Amino acid sequence: MDAVKTKKISLIVLFLVIGFIIPQFVTKPYYLHVITMCLLWAYLASSWNLFCGFAGQLSLGHGVFTAVGAYVAVMLFNDYNISPWIGMFAGAGAAVLLSILIGYPTFKLRGAYYALATVAIGSGVVVLIENTQALGPFRVGGAEGLIVKLMGNAPAFFQFMSKQPYYYIALVMLIIVVLFAFWLKNSRLGYYLSALKEDPEAAEALGINVRNAKLVAAAYSAFFTAIGGVYYAMLIRYLEPNAIAGPMMSNEMVFLAVVGGSGTVLGPVVGGITLHAISEVIQFYFGDLAQGLHLFIYGLIVVFMIMFKPQGIIEILQKYYNRFLGITDRGEDEKSVKRTAGS
Amino acid sequence: MMYKMDSLSVIVNGISMGAIYGLIALGLTLIFGIMKIINFAHGALLMLSMMCSYWTWKYTGINPYLLIIMIAPVMFVIGYSTERFFIKPVLDAQKDVREPIAVLLLTAAFAIVLENLSLMLFGADYVMAKTTVTDATIAFGGVTLSAARFYALIIALVISGGFYLFLQYTELGRKLRSCGQDRNTASLMGIDVPKTFAIAFGIGTALLAVAAITLLPFYYVHPTVGNVFMTKAFIVVVLGGLGSVPGALLGGIIIGLIESIGAQYMTATLTTVIVYAIFLLILFIKPSGLFGSRLEW
Repeated sequence: MDAVKTKKISLIVLFLVIGFIIPQFVTKPYYLHVITMCLLWAYLASSWNLFCGFAGQLSLGHGVFTAVGAYVAVMLFNDYNISPWIGMFAGAGAAVLLSILIGYPTFKLRGAYYALATVAIGSGVVVLIENTQALGPFRVGGAEGLIVKLMGNAPAFFQFMSKQPYYYIALVMLIIVVLFAFWLKNSRLGYYLSALKEDPEAAEALGINVRNAKLVAAAYSAFFTAIGGVYYAMLIRYLEPNAIAGPMMSNEMVFLAVVGGSGTVLGPVVGGITLHAISEVIQFYFGDLAQGLHLFIYGLIVVFMIMFKPQGIIEILQKYYNRFLGITDRGEDEKSVKRTAGS
Repeated sequence: MMYKMDSLSVIVNGISMGAIYGLIALGLTLIFGIMKIINFAHGALLMLSMMCSYWTWKYTGINPYLLIIMIAPVMFVIGYSTERFFIKPVLDAQKDVREPIAVLLLTAAFAIVLENLSLMLFGADYVMAKTTVTDATIAFGGVTLSAARFYALIIALVISGGFYLFLQYTELGRKLRSCGQDRNTASLMGIDVPKTFAIAFGIGTALLAVAAITLLPFYYVHPTVGNVFMTKAFIVVVLGGLGSVPGALLGGIIIGLIESIGAQYMTATLTTVIVYAIFLLILFIKPSGLFGSRLEW
């Protein structure tokens, strides 16, 4: 038992060390940027997973939350000089309000209908942003997008000259969202969510307020997603309505989470990092070969993962993880499951 | 007098575009009605049909409308095999899951594959099959309508009507409907449910080929053209009632009318937002739509 615990802790420490020393070895800004994007996508997929993975709801409109977070923070920064470090919480707050506003009517919809509603809301928001030039005193920029005011090297305003600080911020954000997901999954709300994922009527009959549970989880998810949107805005320094709110953003989060393993704590992280890395590598080496090739392969990977490993990459890793911990035979495996379930 | 003519033209134009929306939505509603799957690859399959028709037209010069007899069977085979080799395995694995969202995601990923495949094969250019129909107009009773749109309206009405009769009065139509009502009971009655599903998906895709060809003479084709129509098809289908054939046509015409009449009084953006708002309103108030009922299929 103790040996297992030591192994677990050493594994966590190993990953943390690797995470923190990567910028010492990867010095080329482009490569570091690619790795940073992997972490950001892992973060976004995890944020999506907080509600949609744990509660089994298919939201195809999470781009709305990245957009609201990013636009609110950037508008406050551009027009009122408010630091994005503060603005990000304003953006996240706006996203939380919006998630409740959207969630209240949509959460009675089931399965496919809920997915369709989120698609419509997502598309509607893109059209709205594309056609809004200004919102009161704030410049929105419409379809041309919004450029983030440049400050040079200004850590207080979330702008850095080198890529390293961005990397570390993304890493810390990812660690926070994973810890939060771990807490959420083992909290009372987490049990509510997994109950209503299996059977909403039964959960309701057992006295769970299904709609409230969904609203709270969706608010958490919107909060983290919006912070990711702000980060994206500060990293790219340019907001294009379709890129930040459109179907690419929304769908990518879902695909990464599902390929990694939705509904698990680490699945979206694994999915976000591996799938995004694969896509970047293909683009880098074969991008010139044919337009669209990297997305073609990316789509195929998602198709085959859904067909052959619906539980995600995490299912494969779990096996190796168990073997590493010394849990080899099935009986032992089941015992450990019972032990964790009981504790 | 002048004003009246214009408004009549606006209405006829709206109806003809709406009929095409209805035709596109027909396949979506069929697949949902029978398999209870929302096909997110519907737009991409429409794009594929348009691309295939465009390039066949380009190299053979056959009248686009005659291409229907060639492209529709090809699309049927594509749809049938897609169901058989990709969707069926996932559907089988998720038999016990009440809401199979994995299939939905699978079709969404499939759409990415198709879009980028056609980007690789055909490039990102906007192309259109400019034939004699493209610039021709037809005038009757003071209404002027482009010939392509007029033919599109006729084809859409004939196909939708024919399809409705096919579902109601043929053996295969009855099989399809029975699988939609209750797949287990249908299976007990000796119907090969998996095969019927594949046929349904094939027919839904073949219907897209017809819609693609009616669009070809007056609509630009490019790899993401499907997205425009897919979101509309979703709206149309929910408005008319998921699974209802008359609902799809009527829902399409309503959306077409809102768009064309709206365009006279406000910006296209506002019209789009209004369409989305109506869609959400229908979802919240009456998710079964105008014609949808649980026993429709």
